[in-house]
Amino acid sequence: MNMQFITIFRALLFILLALALCSVIFVIAGFSAVELFESIIDGAFLRNGAMKHALRWAAPLFITSIGVIISFRAGYFNIGAQGQFYIGAIFAAFTAEWLNGAPAFVVIPACFIAGATGGALWALWPGLLRLKSGADEVITTLMGNFLASLILIYVTGGPLKDPSGSGQQASSRPLDEAYRLGNSYELSPTIIMIALSLGLFMWVIANRTTFGVVSGLAGRNATMVEWQGTKLLRVGLASFLISGGLAGIAGTVELMGPNGRLAAGFLPAHGFTAILIALVANLSIAGAAIAALFFGGLASAALYIPVMSGLPASAIEIINAAIALFITAKSKFLDKLFSLGRAKWKK
Amino acid sequence: MEEMIIAILRSATPLIYVTLAGVIAQRAGIWHLGLEGLMIVGACSTILGIVLTGSVFYALLLACLFCILGSIIFWFVVEKLKANQIIAGLGLTGLGLGGTTLAVEAIFGTPAAVNAKFGLPKIGYVFGDIFGAFNGLSILVLLMPFVVFGMWLLICRTRLGLQITASGEHPFAARSVGVNPSRMRFIALMIGGVLCALGGAELAAGSLQIFAQNMTAGRGFMSFAAVIFGASHPIGAMLAASFFAIVGALGIRAQLVFGDDVPHDLLLGLPYIATIFGIWLSAKLRGGAKAVSGFDELRD
Repeated sequence: MNMQFITIFRALLFILLALALCSVIFVIAGFSAVELFESIIDGAFLRNGAMKHALRWAAPLFITSIGVIISFRAGYFNIGAQGQFYIGAIFAAFTAEWLNGAPAFVVIPACFIAGATGGALWALWPGLLRLKSGADEVITTLMGNFLASLILIYVTGGPLKDPSGSGQQASSRPLDEAYRLGNSYELSPTIIMIALSLGLFMWVIANRTTFGVVSGLAGRNATMVEWQGTKLLRVGLASFLISGGLAGIAGTVELMGPNGRLAAGFLPAHGFTAILIALVANLSIAGAAIAALFFGGLASAALYIPVMSGLPASAIEIINAAIALFITAKSKFLDKLFSLGRAKWKK
Repeated sequence: MEEMIIAILRSATPLIYVTLAGVIAQRAGIWHLGLEGLMIVGACSTILGIVLTGSVFYALLLACLFCILGSIIFWFVVEKLKANQIIAGLGLTGLGLGGTTLAVEAIFGTPAAVNAKFGLPKIGYVFGDIFGAFNGLSILVLLMPFVVFGMWLLICRTRLGLQITASGEHPFAARSVGVNPSRMRFIALMIGGVLCALGGAELAAGSLQIFAQNMTAGRGFMSFAAVIFGASHPIGAMLAASFFAIVGALGIRAQLVFGDDVPHDLLLGLPYIATIFGIWLSAKLRGGAKAVSGFDELRD
């Protein structure tokens, strides 16, 4: 328990440090840091229905972040969640288009399967390049993100283009009402249920199955795991596929829930935020659920503050980035402080 | 052909400057994924500097200042707080992308693109009409080969360069002969900061004289890939960066040739595919990371 407390305390401390850096940046840019933070907190957690908005953003982020956790635990820096999210959404959109007219109980599961497949495929090639030839997955998945957003621009402006669109932003035809899991006005209980059950399922996989244990060990000491007779290729590839598949499912959720259509460059910060959630939660799935709420709140504040107080939404981007800068930090000073504390508790 | 070479020089030069920054950081033992962020900070502060002060010199100074500031933060987080380099680098990149948007919004009220009245001085303007068709390129393009050579001298032929390399390759050995690896990384990152500022300046003010949100579009990450592809050697990295630029230029050429037969959004992806290919090839040739990246420091 003490260890957990220390981990949480450390995370909070570095988040505070990150916020301090943010306020310096805000002040240099000529905004009042107090006013900005006030309106962000208000937009994220205090205004009417803030919880609902936070949940709406948290659910897909949570799904993607579980995937990130799985690959990070296995020791692979799959930072291509954004691309896998896009490709999943694209696959699901094509499926919905192709099955248009079929009953919803056929179309919705088909879309989810397609979305998961799309996301997994977009994680498959970096995984293969990594495990077969040792090509660094950080760069390949990053490049995959850029490629996926180009593919999204192409798809929304070409094969799936909405001819009635206003032309300002390319987008696909809206999904039939019957296939939607929710809309952009209210929170969809279905989506929350999907996120929670995926979370539970993946928690069991990660903590109570051979795959979970072995992949977690592989992240710490791959050589040992290999010597004990595990095929590293299989475990590694599985973790790539699972993490891509989950990002793809999150894409499907966004498509069939709040968005209802594909738009070029939608939710550009999704993947990065999901990585942050995974890291803030210290790669624990239960922790990710809480962290997702926090970052979901921030995401909803990004829409709220430009409208309500006329402050720039990029402030949220900066807060997220600053947290990323500090979240993996360790400091000798802190460790000393903690070890002193621990010694006291033992007495 | 001449046009093609000019186009390639234009797109390769910013990449090469930033790649050199990555090379020296890599030599010092830092995986510099913050290049993208520093590059856009360089681009933004150059254009804002030109608009606000009306002087290219001050604009470049401003760009260097902010990039060095970013590098100091990165050094502090990575070296003093022992943060994970990849995540901290991505954080720095996010800070650059968000910070530049915020700065533009703070000054102009909207996050729209900013136009400057003039850009970096052109070769023809400084040296007169001696380079023919190349007169229209900025002086940073002309300076680039010298900078590459200078970096080669610095890294491969000076005591400081060897000390930096030693700090990356074997910090313990470096320490045992009285070299402070942490300080070497600081120096490497500072030099890298200046190079990123120059790369960003060339990107925004070399031929375009415009700053737009997220205008680096992954060039910083591409530069990082060029560092790996080029075996973190200044000359190799320059060749790798040029290769990515050539593929990009060919993509633009193909758009003109094929017209609408090939979707041009997909042709825009060619440099990214070339980057993936480059990483794969260098892993094949030199043996890449066979073991997992290792995330154990996160789970204590």
